[in-house]
Amino acid sequence: MSAPHTNPLDHPEVRMASAWRYISGFIASMVLMQAAFIVTLRQHPPYEQYALTIAGLALASLVSQAALFFGLDISRAQIWKSVSLVLTVPLFVLSVGLTVWMFQSLAARTMLMPATTMQPTLLQ
Amino acid sequence: MQVAVPGPWSPLFGRLTLAAIPYDNPILVATFAGVAVVGLVVVAAVLYYKKLGYLWREWLTTVDHKKIGVMYVILGLVMLLRGFADALMIRTQQAMAIGPNSPGVLGAQHGYLPPFHFDQVYSAHGTAMILFAATPILTGLTNIVVPLQIGARDMAFPYMNALSLWLTVAGAALVMISLFVGDFSAAGWVGLIPLTELPYSPGVGVDYWMWAIQISSIGTTLNAINMIVTIIKMRAPGMGWFRLPVFTWTTLSTNIIGLTAFPVLGVALALLGADRYLGAHFYTAGNGGNLMLYTNLFWIWGHPEVYFLVLPAFGIMSEIIPTFSEKPLFGYTTMVAATFAIAGISWAVWLHHFFTMAAGPDVNGFFSIATMLVGIPTGVKVFNWMFTLYRGRLTFATPMLWCLYGLFLLLAGGITGMMLAIPAINYTVHNSVFVIAHFHCMVLLVVTAIFAAVAYWFPKVFGFALNETLGRGFFWTFSTATTITFLAMFALGFEGETRRLDYIYDPAWRPMLWTEEFGIALYCVSLVYFVLMLYVSLRDRVPAAADPWHSARTLEFLTPSPVPFYNFAVTPEVNARDELAWRRQHGLEHARPEAFEPIHMPSNSGLSFITGMCALAMGFGLIWRIWWLAGAGLLGIVLVVIIRSFDKNLGYEIQPAEVAAMEEDLSLGGIIAEQPKRAPLTEAEAH
Repeated sequence: MSAPHTNPLDHPEVRMASAWRYISGFIASMVLMQAAFIVTLRQHPPYEQYALTIAGLALASLVSQAALFFGLDISRAQIWKSVSLVLTVPLFVLSVGLTVWMFQSLAARTMLMPATTMQPTLLQ
Repeated sequence: MQVAVPGPWSPLFGRLTLAAIPYDNPILVATFAGVAVVGLVVVAAVLYYKKLGYLWREWLTTVDHKKIGVMYVILGLVMLLRGFADALMIRTQQAMAIGPNSPGVLGAQHGYLPPFHFDQVYSAHGTAMILFAATPILTGLTNIVVPLQIGARDMAFPYMNALSLWLTVAGAALVMISLFVGDFSAAGWVGLIPLTELPYSPGVGVDYWMWAIQISSIGTTLNAINMIVTIIKMRAPGMGWFRLPVFTWTTLSTNIIGLTAFPVLGVALALLGADRYLGAHFYTAGNGGNLMLYTNLFWIWGHPEVYFLVLPAFGIMSEIIPTFSEKPLFGYTTMVAATFAIAGISWAVWLHHFFTMAAGPDVNGFFSIATMLVGIPTGVKVFNWMFTLYRGRLTFATPMLWCLYGLFLLLAGGITGMMLAIPAINYTVHNSVFVIAHFHCMVLLVVTAIFAAVAYWFPKVFGFALNETLGRGFFWTFSTATTITFLAMFALGFEGETRRLDYIYDPAWRPMLWTEEFGIALYCVSLVYFVLMLYVSLRDRVPAAADPWHSARTLEFLTPSPVPFYNFAVTPEVNARDELAWRRQHGLEHARPEAFEPIHMPSNSGLSFITGMCALAMGFGLIWRIWWLAGAGLLGIVLVVIIRSFDKNLGYEIQPAEVAAMEEDLSLGGIIAEQPKRAPLTEAEAH
């Protein structure tokens, strides 16, 4: 006979979140996404500051969802999931980094226009 | 916010009108008649033999990894046939429409396919072959084989496994429905931007393509999660990491690629959907959009997808070559390292698909070198296979023949791949059929590995082998057809023929185009051999031993043939890397357990099938903008998720006496046997 496995509350490694965590995670996600949306629509700050703000809001959203929805932490039950998420960071850096580099190269060679009308890339 | 589309629209039928049925196209009418006849025969046979209940209880609701795998493979073979029909049409059009004096029939100015229809055919060919033939067949094979190779009862999440299948079926069904209701994308299987944008493709073709891929790729992603967890958590005692068969290693690396790459495709298509449905400007030329963003995102998924296909093929070859060389695989550790090296590099090479886009020499140089690096671990693999063959006791059964031809294709595709990795050469042959010939060598390597795997593991699943004589006929005709067709295509590429031509402007290419057509005709002969092979094998059903090849090395061949639905009567203890070879060496391969214990199994469930059908309805509603149908489909999915969440079915147990009986009479537990209804466990019994 296999070990009891019918109640997820007995297994912290598969237990996800509680009601308050779901609600607060939902509110945090909505507020952060809405903030990013508003910042994008207005585009008041200079480009560099705008890009950093958007990136910061995205990171905050990711962290709040990982912590509140998935309950990721460094406890014995959760560490393997946390490590799995961290292991995707190199891929993220690779794909986004190389994309930014490519678009920067592309913009310099194909988007020749007066500097005043040109939208800067992330590397400029 | 919602974008207005041209043409009529009604709340009940959306954009769907009778004009969407192509009853004026004789090719499609004939195809529909054929499909309808075959469909009616199948339905009539099911009803006549009173198998509807059996079909529902044992197949449509199954959570058994082998049955799910078999259905994946059948789905893939049907789509392979569809993709082949498209290839036949493409080649025939190009063989007919040569020069300004070539005649036209069926409404075409030259040849028999008008340009818009031709464009749909090549788009459907690529989509069907890569996403709905090769991907599902490989997923099916890994589903069947991996749990057996690691000594598991089933996948980690059997219900999710069925859900993955039915989502893939829903996507494939949309591709097939597009044949007879509306049209398919004419923008290539890659979705050439901005051709896929609404102003340039205002019909439903791109929507069919987009939603079919979107829905099925969710299934593929879920399957990737399932497979990774299965390999990490479900291994039998003693099955340490460095005792894993290489096919399982390649499956693990493939699914890591799948899990990380498919979401990028999902995002790329979701943004395209936002453009087409909500009037966003992610990929438009103005309003802050960027055309190249799509191309970049697509290939961030697209190139890892190439390794998603080829790594399992390498795994299959790594299982079959040692079996038929009667030797352990040479360089196991380097083989595993090479597998993960290829998977790792796959994330840094995607830009070689658009070297000519105008990125600077530094960027192109980086991706060129990264692409060439793939050749190193691939070379390691080739040498390992060759050293395995060296001084082996070789047997040239059909699986081995397929693998050896696969090596030849790998060499041809690999060397031309190295050529294309050089930006200067790439600029010269970009968009020519040289590129098409190159990647067909690679995908046909995958296909040869698939046919090798089907022949190799067929007796394990069904309990009888495929006919060897007809299998050889199939192999020789198929491999000769491949060689003829694609050697001619390489030559045409060097002569400057660009891809996707519905009209050939240079009559000097005629000899090579007709050579390609001859190759395609030979493929038709190979198809006859394939069908005959299946028919004769099914008719004769010569029983196969547990190890039908008498030299297999891995754990799955320890189980009887056909393998019972519970896989192993007793969970095996693994002693060595090639467990069966180890047991054979120690005279233990026929050892049987003295006593059995109850086996806990998951119950079947129809909910995953219903979810798939709801996804199909939702996709169809979104394509035709029938909002109530899309909403109902989505609501159905949400309801099923809620119902499933409250489902307290704890599975059932097979008692030792029943296990003993099924081990004695293998037909009782085989894949086609109907199982008696077994009561699910109660909460108290589960504890």
